[in-house]
Amino acid sequence: MGTATSNSSKNTFRKWIYSDAVVGHVFAAPFIFGFVVFSLVPILMSFYYSFTDFSLGNKQVIFIGLENFKSLFGDEVLSKSLLKTLQYVLLSVPLKLAFALLVAFILVKPSKMVSIYRSLYYLPSLIGGSVAVALVWKQLFARKGLFNSIAKEIGLSAINWFGDEKLAIYPLILMSAWQFGSSMIIFAAGLKEIPVSYYEAAEVDGAKGWQKFFRITLPCLSPIVLYNLVMQTISAFMTFTQAFIITGGGPNNATMLYALNVYNQAFKYNKMGYACAMSWFMLVVMSIITFLIFKTSKFWVFSEADQS
Amino acid sequence: MKKKTVSLMMAAMLAVSMLAGCGSDAAPAGAQATTPEAPAKEETAAPAETVTEAPAETPAADAAAEEITLRMAWWGSQDRHDKTIAAIELYESLNPNVHFEYEYYSFDDYFTELNTLVASDEVWDVFQLGGNFPTYIDKIHPLNEFIDSGIVDTSKFSDTNLKTTQTTDGQQLGLTNGINTYGIAYDPALFEEAGAALPTDTWTWADYQAAADLITEKLGIFGSSTFLSSDFIAGCSTYIGQQGSLGQYGFFNLDLTGMGFDDPEMLTPFIQMRADMIKKGSYPDAGASAEVTNIENDFLVTGEAAMTWVAVNQFPTIYDVCQEQGRTLALATVPKVTPDGNAGVVLQSSQMLCVSEDSEHKEAAAAFISWFENDVDANNILRAERGIPANEDVRAALSTQATPGQQIMYAYVDKVSKMDTPEKVNVLSPDGQAEVQDHYLNYIQQVVSGEITASDAAQKTYADAEALFK
Repeated sequence: MGTATSNSSKNTFRKWIYSDAVVGHVFAAPFIFGFVVFSLVPILMSFYYSFTDFSLGNKQVIFIGLENFKSLFGDEVLSKSLLKTLQYVLLSVPLKLAFALLVAFILVKPSKMVSIYRSLYYLPSLIGGSVAVALVWKQLFARKGLFNSIAKEIGLSAINWFGDEKLAIYPLILMSAWQFGSSMIIFAAGLKEIPVSYYEAAEVDGAKGWQKFFRITLPCLSPIVLYNLVMQTISAFMTFTQAFIITGGGPNNATMLYALNVYNQAFKYNKMGYACAMSWFMLVVMSIITFLIFKTSKFWVFSEADQS
Repeated sequence: MKKKTVSLMMAAMLAVSMLAGCGSDAAPAGAQATTPEAPAKEETAAPAETVTEAPAETPAADAAAEEITLRMAWWGSQDRHDKTIAAIELYESLNPNVHFEYEYYSFDDYFTELNTLVASDEVWDVFQLGGNFPTYIDKIHPLNEFIDSGIVDTSKFSDTNLKTTQTTDGQQLGLTNGINTYGIAYDPALFEEAGAALPTDTWTWADYQAAADLITEKLGIFGSSTFLSSDFIAGCSTYIGQQGSLGQYGFFNLDLTGMGFDDPEMLTPFIQMRADMIKKGSYPDAGASAEVTNIENDFLVTGEAAMTWVAVNQFPTIYDVCQEQGRTLALATVPKVTPDGNAGVVLQSSQMLCVSEDSEHKEAAAAFISWFENDVDANNILRAERGIPANEDVRAALSTQATPGQQIMYAYVDKVSKMDTPEKVNVLSPDGQAEVQDHYLNYIQQVVSGEITASDAAQKTYADAEALFK
C-alpha cells in the first residue's frame, strides 16, 4: 500500500520533471535567479531611485519627480563626458573592428600555427579589461614611460599624453583597439563560412586580391560586421576601467567617460539618485544609436535570403 | 559542538570575505579574516598571566568569555597599514577573546567602500573618519555613555583635544587619532642648488611661486610638487582664512550652513598663481599629478620636485624615505598672503576612530578605541603616524624616543600652536565637498588652457560651493 502510493507519486513527479517546459526551466534556473537578483531588481530599483535624491551617505530617499532629469541638461561635466564618450566610441569601435578583421583575415589562412596565433591574439582581450593592464598602459604612456623614452632615444621630443587635453583620450582608444580578440574570433568563424567556390569563380574571371576582398569577403561578412559593430558599440559606451585607472577622468574631464562620470556621481559625490537618472539617460542614447545602426543596416548588410 | 559551530561559521565568513575580495577590483586590500583554528588554540594555550593581565588593559574584560569579532577599517599609506596591523595583533594577544577583521584602503577607495556599507547598514565596528564626518553622522555611535561608564578613558585628554571630535551639542563622536596641521615639506639642498631663498616663517605665496619658478628654471624639475586634492585646502580654506583680520573669513561659515566670505574675487589670485605655475612647468599638470597616488611616491620623495604640501603627520614617513636616499627634508609653515597676515592654518584633529551604529559589539569597539589612543605600548608601535597623540602620557613617552623626522614634526606643531589663531574655526567639510573640489581643480585646468579666466574660475567655484547649501 505504502509503496504503491510512493511509486505512483514518484511517477507523477517524474512525468512532471521530464516534461519539456519544466526541465527547461530547471536548467535555466541558475540564470533566471542570477538575472532577477543581480540585474532585474537593481534595474527596477535604479529606475525608482532616478526620481529620488537617494544618497548612499545619509540614506535619505525623497521623491523629487523629474528634478534629476531636468538638471541633466544644465550639467557641463555631463555634456562634456557625453561628447568625449561619443568621440571614444566613434574612434575606437571602427579601429578595433578593422584591426580584428585584418588579423582574422590573416589567421584564416590554413597553417599549422594558426590555433597558437589565434590564442595569442586573443590574450589581450582576456586580460584587457583588468586593472593590471590599465596600470601597465598608464606606465607606458607616462611622462617618463616607455614610449617617451623611445621617442627621446630616436630624437623626438617627449609627448605629455595624459597632461594634454587633446591627446589624453588616444591612449585609451588604442588600448580598446588592442583588445580586438573577441571580434576577431567571430570574424574568423564568419570568414570560414564563405564558400571557396566564390573565390574560385572570381579568380577565373580574373579578379585581383583586393577586388575579391571588397566584392566577396566584405559583403558575405556584412551580417557579422553588423553583429560585431552593435556589440562593440554597446561595450564601448560602458567603458570604465581605463578611464578610472589611467587618467581618473582628467585632464579637465577630457577622458571623463560616461560610466566613470556615473560612478563619480554615485559613489564619490554621494548623488545616487542623480547617477541613476544619468544611467537611464544613457540607456536612451544607446538605444537610439543601436536603432540607427539597425536602420542603416539594410543599406549595407548583404543577406543571401533577400537575393533568392 | 559549540566550538565546531563557531569555527564553521568563521570558515564561512572567511569564504564570504574572500568572495567579496574577488568581486571588487577597485579595492586594493583584501579583507583579512582570522583563521578558524586560531581562536581555539589561543584559548587553551594562553598562559594564565595573560588572562589576568587583560582586565588591567581593557575594562571590557567582563565579557572575556564571549568570542567577539570586530571589523575595522582605515585609510592611509603602507606605513600606516603595517603599524596599525601590528597594534591590532598586540591587542588580540592581550585580549584572546577579541578578534579583528581589518581592511585598509587609499582615501578615495575607503569612502567608496564606506558609502556602500552605509547603504547596506553594515559599517565596520571601528572606523576612521576625518573632517568630512558630518556626512556620516547618522552612522556614528557617540562615545558619551562609554566615557560615563569608564570603558573609554579620557582622563589624559585635554578639553581642547576632546572638543576636536565633538559636535556642538557635546556628543563625543570619537577620540582623535592625533593632532595635526598642514605645512610645506621641502628639500633645502635643491633650494640652495637653484639659488632660491629658503622658506621662512613669514614667507608669502609670492615667495613660494618665485622659489618654485626659479628651481624649475635652474634645475629642470618641478619647483613645487602637486598638492593633489589638498590644493583645495590650500587655495580655498587656507587662502581665504589668511585674508582680512584674524578669523574674519573662512571658506565655509562656522556652523557649516553657508559660505564664510562674500567676494569670490578673494580666490582669484591663488587660482591665477596656480595656473601660471602649471603653464611655466613649476607645478605638475593634471597628467603628472595623476601619477602621484599617495605621499610615498610624491615628486618631492622621488626627487622630481623641491617641495610639497603635507599634513604634518606624513612628514616623518617621507623624511625617513628621503634620508635613505641621502637627502634631508625640512618643514616650513604654509605661505601667507602678506608677511604679517594670518597663518590660516590651525591645529586640528587628523582623524578619529568611531564606533559604528551598526556594530553589535559597541562596548568592545569602544574599549579598543580607548586602548588604541591611551596605551603606551600600542602607541610605541603606531609612532604618531596618524598625528601627534592627544593623550599627554603617550605624547611624553613618544617624545623621548622620537626619530629626527618626528622631532621636526613635534617642533613644528609646537610652533603652530603658539601662532595667533582665531577662537573658532571650521575645519569640517559639508556633504558634497568632493564635487566642489573636483570642479575647482578642473577650473584651474581650464584657466591653464585659456578657456576661462581666473576670475571666472573663482566665480564658478564660489557658485558650486554655495549650491551645497541650497
